[in-house]
Amino acid sequence: MQESLTSAVFEALKLLLSGDPQLWEIIGISFSVSGMAILIAVIPAVMIGFLLAFYDFHGRRILIAIFNTLLSVPAVVIGLTFYLLLSRQGPLGDLRLLFTQSAMVIGQIALCFPLLVAMSHTAFQSIERRAWETAITLGHSTLGALSLVIREARFALLAAVLTAFGRIIAEVGASMMLGGNILHHTRNIPTAIALETSKGEFAQGIALGIVLLLLAFVLNGLLHVFQGKGALS
Amino acid sequence: MKQVNSLEISPLIRFQELSKRYGKRQIFNDVSFDFQAKSSYLLTGRNGSGKSTLLRVMSGLLKPDSGLIHVKGQTNHPGLSWSKQQIALRDVVMYMHQSPYLFDGSVRKNLEYAIVNTPNSGQREQQVEQALQWAGLDDLSRSPAKQLSGGEKQRVALARAWLRNSSILLLDEPTANLDQMSRKKTLELLASLKQSGVSLLIACHEYQEFMPITDGILQLNDGILQKI
Repeated sequence: MQESLTSAVFEALKLLLSGDPQLWEIIGISFSVSGMAILIAVIPAVMIGFLLAFYDFHGRRILIAIFNTLLSVPAVVIGLTFYLLLSRQGPLGDLRLLFTQSAMVIGQIALCFPLLVAMSHTAFQSIERRAWETAITLGHSTLGALSLVIREARFALLAAVLTAFGRIIAEVGASMMLGGNILHHTRNIPTAIALETSKGEFAQGIALGIVLLLLAFVLNGLLHVFQGKGALS
Repeated sequence: MKQVNSLEISPLIRFQELSKRYGKRQIFNDVSFDFQAKSSYLLTGRNGSGKSTLLRVMSGLLKPDSGLIHVKGQTNHPGLSWSKQQIALRDVVMYMHQSPYLFDGSVRKNLEYAIVNTPNSGQREQQVEQALQWAGLDDLSRSPAKQLSGGEKQRVALARAWLRNSSILLLDEPTANLDQMSRKKTLELLASLKQSGVSLLIACHEYQEFMPITDGILQLNDGILQKI
């Protein structure tokens, strides 16, 4: 068993270093889908986080409770929900999005959105209300004041984006249900790992696992740097 | 209505019958005040009497429960949205917190944030240089603003006010927690601002030190504003 594991790891490194096109295509799909999801989600999520932190409006507490609850919804439940919405018989079936990268992007947006909202809310809460008021009283427009406050919270907001990216690039439930794990189209790192392992083909699974581990290491390193800078500033 | 008129000429801003309550607690009720150009007042009152709340309402940071605000002769009638009233107020009024907030970055960068309507970068730089000189901050221009002492932070905030050039500056206890030297410097800068035509309303406990730059004293107690 140990021998087969060693040879699988060796094979995995060979696949990675030889630039195996299929392996790198899977990695590319993972990054483009998750990158797109973050790009779409980040601005509205940060805006909501800002509103929750600096504005007092009816339903604010309920909204905070809803986003905090959504944080703990399993990826597979998100996958199931959107599967039902996007399937042929579903209300959005006419869009024919099921088993496409767009469907995966939608699922990953749903996954990372509450996390981005909750973490941006915390990031803005750590910036005193005086920052917003000072920007306003210095004559900045609402948008100008917002950009100043975002600048103040930039390290914590970057940490939020990195955490959200780390979460969605490694999730398997929603991607499997909404993407269908179709080779060259919707097969990403976690769905490929699940498939290869179920076939007993460990080399590609381990190679992709190494990529995820490296990514986790880099993201954590960056998080550490940004959080450290945030604490110092 | 408890009208406090400073002078009988057309005021810069007229606050009429402002009221504010937090829950069951009435902070102030029917407060009226005419803010004349180039005048300076002290706002006194017990701890928790609502001085800070009144300043925040007057600066447009906090919405009053009721009342009228007339900016430069324009009546902001009750039908006018609060956001429009805020914009009108912010054109004329600047508010300074008791302990000023300085943004991440150098002193110079903080002063640049106070210049929003000068697109020319050369002009902006020149204005910042003048402000640094005015507040005696030349040596600190490249220092990280968040690491300054309380007195230095207060000078940066006043330099921003000088650059902002608002008609009215509302200050919440500007000398609280400052040492003797910093208090003296703050008072000098406030006198200079007054001399340049800025109207001041200073919330304070110990008003003796502000007397040389004051045209009148207002007292807020039990929700009522009175001239003393």
